[in-house]
Amino acid sequence: MTAALLDGTAQAIAAAIGTGDVSAREIAQATLDRIEARNGALGAFTDMTATRALAKADAIDTARARRESLGPLAGAPFAVKNLFDVEGLPTRAGSKINRDRPPAKADATVIARLEAAGGVLVGALNMGEFAYDFTGRNVHDGPSRNPHDLEHMTGGSSGGSAAAVAGGLVPFALGSDTNGSIRVPSSFCGLFGLKPTYGRLSRVGTFPFVASLDHVGPLARSAGDLALSYDAMLGHDDRDSVQAVMPAAAASPTLNERVAGLRIARLGGYFARSADPSATSAVGAIARALKAEDRVVELAQAEQARSAAYLITMVEGAALHFARLRERAQDFDPEVRDRLIAGTMVPGAWVAQAQKFRRQFHATTLALFREVDILLAPATPCRAPRLEQTTFVLDGREMLVRPNIGLFTQPISFIGLPVVTAPVWTEGEKLPIGVQIIAAPWREDLALRVAWALERDGVVRAPVATLY
Amino acid sequence: MTAKGFDPEAVVDAMAPLLGLTLTPESRAQTLVHLRIAVEQAEKLFSVPLDDEQEPAPVFTA
Repeated sequence: MTAALLDGTAQAIAAAIGTGDVSAREIAQATLDRIEARNGALGAFTDMTATRALAKADAIDTARARRESLGPLAGAPFAVKNLFDVEGLPTRAGSKINRDRPPAKADATVIARLEAAGGVLVGALNMGEFAYDFTGRNVHDGPSRNPHDLEHMTGGSSGGSAAAVAGGLVPFALGSDTNGSIRVPSSFCGLFGLKPTYGRLSRVGTFPFVASLDHVGPLARSAGDLALSYDAMLGHDDRDSVQAVMPAAAASPTLNERVAGLRIARLGGYFARSADPSATSAVGAIARALKAEDRVVELAQAEQARSAAYLITMVEGAALHFARLRERAQDFDPEVRDRLIAGTMVPGAWVAQAQKFRRQFHATTLALFREVDILLAPATPCRAPRLEQTTFVLDGREMLVRPNIGLFTQPISFIGLPVVTAPVWTEGEKLPIGVQIIAAPWREDLALRVAWALERDGVVRAPVATLY
Repeated sequence: MTAKGFDPEAVVDAMAPLLGLTLTPESRAQTLVHLRIAVEQAEKLFSVPLDDEQEPAPVFTA
């Protein structure tokens, strides 16, 4: 029974603990055992917090014995990308350099909120160095590997998060998404991923990458768990200077509301041109299921939006690491270092133009949301490339994999729109591919509702990998 | 302002020492790859005319 629960949802684990069918300690211990057994192949975890996890599980069992009310995530194991502060661990952010930092004195706000809802933190997860990555490769810790085919990449930079969830080590994990780092690994590893609206969730206690683009959010094997974990993380944090003051409206209670009345369209143009047939057919399958296959709209200047996000990322990322590039260049992952060095040399005028364009693109895109509620687009231009692959051909042109996997995610996060990535499987294919379900700012509930309906109807699914 | 005339090789060789960055030959070659991509992105960005009065969004609020 415990194994079946570990392959299921956080919601089911919490329910089983609530009824006494299983104890939180049994779940925590079985999770820790499973991580020990599988992590060598997956490269998902860099740190385990076993003592803490068992203590937390025991506290939940004690609370239940005392008939105290348990939180909605009671006893559900989770893990976090290693750029989240975990009390007692140096926040390495995928780097060698950050291992010299003192241990974090407190958990990131969102970890504290998940634990307040009963979640049990079991460890920290591998990631691309300093989050400047779409592959899941890491020269210091080794790559995270795609649980559905270990010779293929997880995607990044939240690669360990995706490997842990798709590999059945935890039902959900936290990642961060600056240009696609939740959505890309969700696509490659066949998971549901939520990048909330920019400014929605607290980033306090996370190591930054590009302050004006950084988001945090969950990856899970069900849309219901995405909603449950998202709801638990909602709420204002006075210490977060960019978090918007918005009502903390829970999404879970609205999941079953009607999808039929929503105005849904596919994104054409830029989003169709560079996608390979697997990506196009995945979007088509979802559009058909939602009876939206005939409606195609254009997101004007999406290509320039991607370019602007690209340049802002180069410069803000380089600024963050400038001193380290001067003093410890040899300690960086070379694949990351040289991109950051290039960013130190981008003219300031280009970035100023990018920020001006951002305001204009925001306005034109919001106008589009007067006509539609949901936009559909591929999350990645193709399925997961092989681990060692460095180039691919898109739109008839050979280009580098690492900087270009996010060409469909970048225009969306550029203006902070909420997105759920939903996984589509094709008969006979080993690897899945994700579709972005994009909503207007602050309408995470709509994107989650659509993903939930698609999951309920069997159009999308996120099974634990069967390689074991 | 456009990206025209921006010479990545000249920029890397001039700026690296001015910025206090020491590049190995391998690092210089890869930096050039990424700076050339930046030029491509800038050319796309500058293809969109923007008014002088257009406000930027450095701290974005959705």
